[in-house]
Amino acid sequence: MKNTKMISLLVPIISVILAFLIGCIIMAALSANPAVALQALWKGAFGSVRNIGTTLSRSTPLIFTGLCACFAYKCGVFNLGGEGQFIMGSVVCTVIATQCGFTGLPAIIICLIAGAVAGGLWAMIPGVLKVYRGQNEMIISIMMNYIATLFMGVLFTNWLRDGSVPQTIAVPDGTRLTRLFGLRATSAFIIAIAVGLIVYYFLFNTSKGFQLRAVGFNMTAAKFNGFAVEKYFLFSFLISGMIAGLGGSAEILGTQFFLINGYAAGYGFDGVSMALIGQLHPIATMLVAIFFAALRVGSTTMQAATGVPTSVSDIIQALVIVFTVAGLALVKLPEFKAFTDRVFAKKKEVA
Amino acid sequence: MSWDFISNLLLASVRMATPLIFLALAELYSQRAGLVHIGLEGLASIGSLVGFLVSLITGNPLLGVLAGAAAGILVNMIYAYATITLCAEQIVYGMAINIFAPALASFIYRVYFGAGSELVQVSLMETLASRMGITANGFIAKLFLDQTPMVYLAYLLVVFTVIYFNRTKSGLNYKAVGEYPKAAATLGIDVIGIKYTASVICGALAGIGGAYLTTCYTTTYVDGNIAGRGFIALAAVIFGRWNAGGVLIACLFFGFCDALQIRLQVGSYNIPYQFFQMIPYIATVVVLAAIGMKKAGPKSCGKPYRKEEL
Amino acid sequence: MKKFLAMLLVAAMVFSMAACAKAPEAAQPAATEETAGETAGETAGETAETAEAPKDGKVYKVAMICDSSISDGGWGMSCYNAMMDAAAKHGWETAVSDSIEQSAYFDTIDSYCTLGYDMIYAPGNQYTDAVLQAAAEYPDIAFALLNGAADTPAKAENGNVSSLLPNATQIGWIAGALAGLMTETGTIAFIGGMELDTTKGKYEGYKEAAAYVAEKAGKTATTLDIVYSNSFSASDKGIEFAKAMIDKGADVFFGDASAVDSGARQAIDEYNAAQGSVKVFDIAQPADLLGQNECIIGSQVTDNSAMVGSCMEAVEAGKLGGDVIYGTLENGALSAGAVSDLVPAEIKDQYNAYIEEMKAGTFMK
Repeated sequence: MKNTKMISLLVPIISVILAFLIGCIIMAALSANPAVALQALWKGAFGSVRNIGTTLSRSTPLIFTGLCACFAYKCGVFNLGGEGQFIMGSVVCTVIATQCGFTGLPAIIICLIAGAVAGGLWAMIPGVLKVYRGQNEMIISIMMNYIATLFMGVLFTNWLRDGSVPQTIAVPDGTRLTRLFGLRATSAFIIAIAVGLIVYYFLFNTSKGFQLRAVGFNMTAAKFNGFAVEKYFLFSFLISGMIAGLGGSAEILGTQFFLINGYAAGYGFDGVSMALIGQLHPIATMLVAIFFAALRVGSTTMQAATGVPTSVSDIIQALVIVFTVAGLALVKLPEFKAFTDRVFAKKKEVA
Repeated sequence: MSWDFISNLLLASVRMATPLIFLALAELYSQRAGLVHIGLEGLASIGSLVGFLVSLITGNPLLGVLAGAAAGILVNMIYAYATITLCAEQIVYGMAINIFAPALASFIYRVYFGAGSELVQVSLMETLASRMGITANGFIAKLFLDQTPMVYLAYLLVVFTVIYFNRTKSGLNYKAVGEYPKAAATLGIDVIGIKYTASVICGALAGIGGAYLTTCYTTTYVDGNIAGRGFIALAAVIFGRWNAGGVLIACLFFGFCDALQIRLQVGSYNIPYQFFQMIPYIATVVVLAAIGMKKAGPKSCGKPYRKEEL
Repeated sequence: MKKFLAMLLVAAMVFSMAACAKAPEAAQPAATEETAGETAGETAGETAETAEAPKDGKVYKVAMICDSSISDGGWGMSCYNAMMDAAAKHGWETAVSDSIEQSAYFDTIDSYCTLGYDMIYAPGNQYTDAVLQAAAEYPDIAFALLNGAADTPAKAENGNVSSLLPNATQIGWIAGALAGLMTETGTIAFIGGMELDTTKGKYEGYKEAAAYVAEKAGKTATTLDIVYSNSFSASDKGIEFAKAMIDKGADVFFGDASAVDSGARQAIDEYNAAQGSVKVFDIAQPADLLGQNECIIGSQVTDNSAMVGSCMEAVEAGKLGGDVIYGTLENGALSAGAVSDLVPAEIKDQYNAYIEEMKAGTFMK
């Protein structure tokens, strides 16, 4: 048992190494020096205090959507709608922050809570359809993402438009989150970490969390044991949506300040990937999010420094996901288990 | 609303529906074998780029389409191997394809053309009318003659698919794999084989759908040219209730919405155009909410199939 | 145990990345430095040919960000070429990131700033907020904002932002006068990229000049309401817009939507081919694109290169910005490009006369 755990933890590490190896081969084929490129990548992401700040700020929304997916998956609901919930959180937060005219800490708290509630409610749509209509929550949550994105479009091209440019009015200075040590990272990052720790504590150290995980681990058994599975599912959707929605409002108040075309694109799927690579562990998910943010921040520096297109970094990121997910599926195959058991059995015999 | 407005609107709907038909059929073949595929966007993007490059190099759009299909198959084999053989989560893998394939396409484009700033244009496939040397005038002639061969192929494929799934033994076996793979296997059907075949068909059709854009529609390639069509196709399969005929109607309807949205903007009606773009997604959610679990597509969709445990 | 392993795992991931990057650096520091320079030149061809020896030995670097593609056959291409020309003239090194998401404006600018670029060139009004934000954080870097508003430089507290401001109305005039002379249906069209003030300015200028010119010629020219593609890459949208507008009777097109314009031109060419003769025309901008498509009858030309060049000179002289550099017909930054043979000789003459009036400031007066 211990062996299989070790193996499934090795998978992401091997995947990262493989992905980077392929990335290096591609760069070498472009007659760029992979060492220089990777060095630029590292420098761009962690080279200075300022860059670290940028990386942390870029990782903040990913941490939120990662935790959103992590929480949902751990409880057995496959919420792919993190992006839509994140956007709806941002939308509601922007509307309140720009329209209500209040500022200061209470205003910030109201905006954050409103965003979280909006995200939670948006997540309830696939939740209710899953529980009461038996529908596939993945497909519905994907559709809800598109609806949210387009709805945000209505806001920045029409209803909340800022004079000369298709973007919404920026949230007032008085509602913006404070920066950490003058860096780009804001207190949104602290909130993200706090949420991650709470999720971790809740899932692994409370009885309610244990019940949720039990439902996620084996729904049939949970049902048999008298759990009201439907309620647990709805609760999981609500909480995971709220995490994403909170992330959306924190992103608006922290770094983005206004809605614009392309905002939050891909964050939901990114979050799912991060949760999976982090093996549905909240702390690991957060670290994976920082790793991916570093890849993204660094890739621009890499392109500027060596002319290697940023798409190489996208390819590396995609390969990490491709390899990890395939690897994790592989180690779960009965054939693989039989194989490792044989190997370890032999070792024991030899010893 | 004049007849001209309506006839032009219908022509535009047909134009905009064609790539959706290819992509939706790709999804249909995949789902009928129990494989939900949300990675069509990625498959189409690589098909679109390869189709563009090959038709640029050879000057033959038809070769471009074939190459696009081949590229789609190749990339989809990653998905097939992971989801069929390794039993990896289908949705997640589709998502990974969506991140991987467009990045690859963008990368190839940049490497092939360098940092140049030249606009590269290819010549498009000829329409039937121009091949026959006639000018299509009037609505009927334009609708039936002034189309590229790919459009006829799309509709023929729909007809073929309807017949295949409902009238042939092989089609029924295929469907059985998507519904009850274990039962199908006991009847001697090669479940794994059919799933792989499905992935080949899906990759080819999605690649063709992407290549259609660069060989029959626009003369240029731009990153992100698939623009969400993969997900609209997914919606069309659900909206069309997993039948080729229904899927066709769904694609035409979604194409119509898109065409209408463009024409209303030109007519300067002040409705935010995003509301029209939402229609496919809202329609899908409503349909799913209405039909309930029992009729919601092939039953084994999304579930990995394992041969009997060792 | 599990917790510990999970932590270990991700730590290892981050460090594997670090190791990849760090190890070779220690091994061969000298070699890497050299190759860095080489690869930059080779792979992307981004280093400009040095025409002039750089003054005081420092090689200045300029970076451009762009949300459209630099190979779009329109806006992105022209702005990129303008930077390349100016850089070649002044001996600057260049870099470019194109097709970036609108939400990534700031992040991209930020990475060039941390790489020590001397000037950031942002060709479009839509970059204003990102540029101001970056200008506040990097007081030692110059920002050149093409189509920036007249009051934008004053908004930058560090005084390091310049607006390069071609006169949008005059741009519209240059195209509108030709459109008004050429239209036969009396209906002309404009496809905008984004709903920006400068785009609206171009549209208004186009509309009024066409109406004025047509009236003088004893006909009418009405401009269809402006449509926005809200995308610089959706050439299929350009096709559909153009077809819909042709159906409404438009026979001269103008626009500023990058690859969307290429789509529109494709649709116009197809329509003309089906008609057997060129009946619908397009006017290009902001460079002379005559010959790229059959339907292009003329271009509005903006000498962005001269404006970028004057920013470079300012930077070399130690002044980071604060100016509004106007581009007008009078100072030669705006002009009309070559006119195609599809335009009859007498119309050509009339058109040139109008352009002269515009230069003299007597147009429509």
